[in-house]
Amino acid sequence: MNNTTAAARTDAVLPKWNFAQFASELTEPAPLTSARKAAWKRYSELPFPTRKVEEWRYTDISTIDFELLTPAIRTEEIDEELPADVREILSQSGDRAGVVVYQDGCVVHVELDQVLADAGVILCSLAQAAENHPELLQQALFETRPSTAEEKLWTLHLAILSGGYLLHVPPGVELPAPIHTFNTLKTPGLLTSTHSLIMMEKSARAAVIEEFISEDLDEQTVSLHGASVHCKDSAGIEYVTVQQYGRGVAHFSTQHTVAHHNAKSITFNVGLGADLSRADVTSRLLGPGSDSEMLALWFGDAQQHFDHHTLQHHKAPHAHSDLLFKGALTDKASSVFRGLIQVDVGAQLTDAYQTNRNLLLSEGSHATALPNLEIEADDVRCSHGATIGQVDNTQLFYLMSRGLTQRQAERLLVFGFFDEVLGRLPMAGVRERIRGAIEEKIGL
Amino acid sequence: MSAPLLVIQDLHAKVAGEDLEILNGVDLTVEHGQVHALMGPNGSGKSTLAKVIAGHPGYEVTKGEILLNGEALLDLEPDERSRAGVFLAFQYPAEVPGVSIANFLRTAMNARVGDEDEMDIFAFQERLTEKMELLKVDEGFASRYLNDGFSGGEKKRNEVLQMAVLEPALAVLDETDSGLDIDALKIVANGVNTLSSEDASLGVLLITHYQRILTYINADHVHVMIGGRIVESAGPELANKLEAKGYDWLHQAAATV
Repeated sequence: MNNTTAAARTDAVLPKWNFAQFASELTEPAPLTSARKAAWKRYSELPFPTRKVEEWRYTDISTIDFELLTPAIRTEEIDEELPADVREILSQSGDRAGVVVYQDGCVVHVELDQVLADAGVILCSLAQAAENHPELLQQALFETRPSTAEEKLWTLHLAILSGGYLLHVPPGVELPAPIHTFNTLKTPGLLTSTHSLIMMEKSARAAVIEEFISEDLDEQTVSLHGASVHCKDSAGIEYVTVQQYGRGVAHFSTQHTVAHHNAKSITFNVGLGADLSRADVTSRLLGPGSDSEMLALWFGDAQQHFDHHTLQHHKAPHAHSDLLFKGALTDKASSVFRGLIQVDVGAQLTDAYQTNRNLLLSEGSHATALPNLEIEADDVRCSHGATIGQVDNTQLFYLMSRGLTQRQAERLLVFGFFDEVLGRLPMAGVRERIRGAIEEKIGL
Repeated sequence: MSAPLLVIQDLHAKVAGEDLEILNGVDLTVEHGQVHALMGPNGSGKSTLAKVIAGHPGYEVTKGEILLNGEALLDLEPDERSRAGVFLAFQYPAEVPGVSIANFLRTAMNARVGDEDEMDIFAFQERLTEKMELLKVDEGFASRYLNDGFSGGEKKRNEVLQMAVLEPALAVLDETDSGLDIDALKIVANGVNTLSSEDASLGVLLITHYQRILTYINADHVHVMIGGRIVESAGPELANKLEAKGYDWLHQAAATV
């Protein structure tokens, strides 16, 4: 029944996944289509993860029938104009080096500062990248090996890719302002799949802020997202996602960051929206002196569920990684943090930390914290810790004695709780944008 | 004739969940514009009275009344009491990392006016700057996190700054002088004096263990609390007498009551 309705709404018919038909409707460079087909083949062989799989124990996706959703079909209708709603947000944000806008999973607008384009920076849709730089796509995207637990959704993500972009920053080039992307959803019942491919050459530097935005949608809608971030020697990236989808949306983001010799990566995931939001964040430290900072904040209310899986994989000696994930929950919201620091045999003098802190504002909210270490080298410094606590009553009374209602006082304390993480972001403009989004969500 | 600013009648209170009463029938009236000092030895119930006035959830009132401008205060939540005009300067202000003084005070101001006519950020900033100048507080102070890593003196100055911005009708200063060196004490005392000269109707209840702050703040009335009751009330000369004779002579008086 659902199926017929979905099929009737667009031309992209996937009744129980007629992939051949779906693929035949795409007009795109051949490498992209053959990568899809390979991914689809693998996808078809894999079962959907159930709660029997350890990594999915606390997040039930059996209620989402992916194959009844309407896959967004990749279109290439690039509009020269910035959509009005995005223009509005950008007018309140700081400077930017470039913009990518998606609507319902398809790229509709790309712009890049001319000076940077002249300096050799590439910012283009993945379809264009497949045309002009097929080798980049091949090595940086299609050869990514996800973990077993991620593989089902990862292969689906690649098979039905509806849009994406490539940011390539040549050696030594530094972007003076962030690239700002907007992933906007409008049509209920869709399944979108977008990918951010970021290649930082030697000593290149950039910041990217990605926003995921929609109204509340009255039908189950799913957003699949992937990010592949590659930092060559001494490169630096600040990669930020702010997920502010409305209710009715489920969001799955799989992010892989690779840092070579002396490269520095910062990933920052902010979870505010959607009913269900999962982030699998992997950072691989491949070169000595590499440094990875992994940050996240989330605030859940109603029955929202946030799930975070992280891996700090130290493959090289003398590397540093530091993870700080903080979440606050109220009403009946729930969250999961499962993190692993993995240190390979040769990765001596690794310096790795992992901290997860949870603040519960209501009796009905629930947080699960599962930090973990797996160390095969013998000369390392690693620590992990997790806490789950309530608001401090002394602080609460102090704030209320100045006239703040209990709700206002609690929200202000959440803000203070988050500040430690926000303070770690080097770019003030990005920090302010996140602060604004959080303020809007928690309603101070 | 309007109602007195603060009337406390036969107030009894205990720590919530325990049996022992800490306040055993406190009676006290503070008129608009008056400064009252409440003195007494440690453990006499002074700070408990301050917290009960502010509505601390750790205490339970078993008998009696507190009226602010004739309105019953005890039915109100701590935030409602604040909005009604009560301000408690804490003996040990809580540290709140991550929340700046400015952000906190702006939220507190907005809580007073309600969502509809939220205070303009510029109007707020103007008010904050004005009060900081009045109290000779450094410009950067308001962007610091609330009491986070503050010295004792800075915490007390912060309390006085909050009081200045929130403009209460009644200020209860709980051992605001404790733990301060003489310079810090003078700064805080000057702040309180400045605020009471700015607002002639401000009532102050100054709770202190030591007489020395009364060298800098002129009290109209001095009370002594022992065993959870006020056992002696007089003019400012009482403070000098306490300085000379200590509290022992009053212990005897208390015992005979």
